[in-house]
Amino acid sequence: MGVEIPKTSYSGAIRQISFGSANKVTMGGANSFPFHVFEGEMPNPPRIAMEVYDHPPEDWPEAALAPFKDVVDDPVKWAGKCIEEYGAEIICLQLKGLDPNGKDDPVEDAVATASRVAEAVEVPLIVWGCGNDEKDAEALKAICEACEGRGLMVGPVTENNYSRVGAAAIAYQHVVAAMTPIDINLAKQLNILLGNLGVPDDRIVIDPNSAALGYGIEYTYSVMERIRMAALLQEDERLAFPIICNMAREVWKVKEVGIPQQEDPKLGDPEERGIMMEAMTASLLLNAGADLLIMRHPEAIKRTRKLISDMMG
Amino acid sequence: MILVGENINIISKTYGPAIRDRDAKPIQDLAVKQAEAGIDYLDINIGPARKHGEETMEWVVKTVHEVVDLPLSLDTTNANAIKAGLRVHKGKALVNSVSLQPERIEHLLPAVVEHGASMIGLLWGREGMPRDTDERATFAAELVMVAAEAGVPMEDIWIDPIATPVGVDINQVLSCVEAMSILQEITPGTRSIVGLSNVSNGVPNELRPYLNRTYLAMLMKHGLYSAIVDAFDDELVALAKGKMPEILELVHGMMDGEEPDLSKLSDKEREYAKTTRVLLGKELYSDSWLTN
Repeated sequence: MGVEIPKTSYSGAIRQISFGSANKVTMGGANSFPFHVFEGEMPNPPRIAMEVYDHPPEDWPEAALAPFKDVVDDPVKWAGKCIEEYGAEIICLQLKGLDPNGKDDPVEDAVATASRVAEAVEVPLIVWGCGNDEKDAEALKAICEACEGRGLMVGPVTENNYSRVGAAAIAYQHVVAAMTPIDINLAKQLNILLGNLGVPDDRIVIDPNSAALGYGIEYTYSVMERIRMAALLQEDERLAFPIICNMAREVWKVKEVGIPQQEDPKLGDPEERGIMMEAMTASLLLNAGADLLIMRHPEAIKRTRKLISDMMG
Repeated sequence: MILVGENINIISKTYGPAIRDRDAKPIQDLAVKQAEAGIDYLDINIGPARKHGEETMEWVVKTVHEVVDLPLSLDTTNANAIKAGLRVHKGKALVNSVSLQPERIEHLLPAVVEHGASMIGLLWGREGMPRDTDERATFAAELVMVAAEAGVPMEDIWIDPIATPVGVDINQVLSCVEAMSILQEITPGTRSIVGLSNVSNGVPNELRPYLNRTYLAMLMKHGLYSAIVDAFDDELVALAKGKMPEILELVHGMMDGEEPDLSKLSDKEREYAKTTRVLLGKELYSDSWLTN
């Protein structure tokens, strides 16, 4: 006698979102829970973007820095290495230097960096601000204009700057990543506001504000799960957007990732430890519903690609 | 339905300082205004009142009773302050509240019996918030047993199944309604009450009344006896006092599975219908739920 496996039936689907110019990438489109390919379709596998920074990192553990040591002083070279050597299909430029509490780069510098990278690489490009709403609003607005035609994804767009960045994204046709602080109601509200502003539904992705394994990933996981349930089971169309997780920067600042082996031998080899923490974080976020991960270490990425391909069957 | 006005509260920017400075006029004006609005009980919330709790409660009770005869709900985590309030209260007071926490039971139940007061039986367990309807039911049975043993008559126990914010966990919002629906089976003869405004905690102020009113209408389906409310929400008072039967019919119908055609409803009905969908968990809450 055969066993019938119970199946969930879904009434909603996640929108498909594309970005890029010469090379485009498409995300989303699923009409079942992540990797439940026995219940529905997942037309696009989750995507991985490799991150590059505007300045050489100062606080990365050695394990994260090692693969990029020769290129960290130039985001163009760095992006090139990610693509040629590690097969990156998307690049995420992190403009950390904009932070008024850090290097406080002038907006023009950030625009110049973004433009250089946008011209040098052909793969789709994500441009991520520093997390300061005001500075990001100015910088992302200017970058949207400077990179017209490049089909960027820009973020984080928040409830405090969505109208300024959103307007520029509409005018110059880029995708926005709408970030809210691990809260499903606020996520829905920001998507409604972006819609009211006139951002087309095929140019919004949700950033639920990722945490890392060991640093509160449970909350992110639970909110992402609920976002997917609302979209797929309750047809909540203001939550039916792909989800992006800017996760690597969270993983590599977790305390356990940075502790040298001589300080705590039982934690084991710091390189393998960091890679595993990043790969594990990625696997959890994928299972919660991530459509796009921003990752760092080539080996963690390799393992995550393998996982995705195995899970897609 | 019995309404308990929530407006005399130590956290208010106007009335908090008046209580602390023993400035009688604003407190008395507020008490009179609530009475005029049709409120039946006045809640006297003096917060944790760790310092001078007894004198504070005693002063507010006397001050309010100089101008209105309404019974008061004595609301503080300081048990001694509640006892002090009971000693000077005229008529039958409401003790807010007794939960399963041992110190509340030990200190407050004898005082409730001694003064012939009513009590709010808050379904808050020894480890805090009930997780679901089963825990609410268990807590209710246990609390009523303890109170009855101490000599509190059933009709003086007002069970509060705890309303929680819509933006935190909709299942808890639903569980409070479900608990209300089974309360008379579990603890026959008791009364019920909810702190209604909790449901809209965290929501922008101008939007809170819509959620409060609709949630009240939902709880009324299951015979809610009383609610702690904003005394100055006229529509809420009208709804509670049975002056909006067509709205109750609409909301209760939706709770039974009806899906009214929004385009055929009046603006007012549409407000309630949209809010009911949110509070039933059929539509995820966002601040734009009324307009989206």
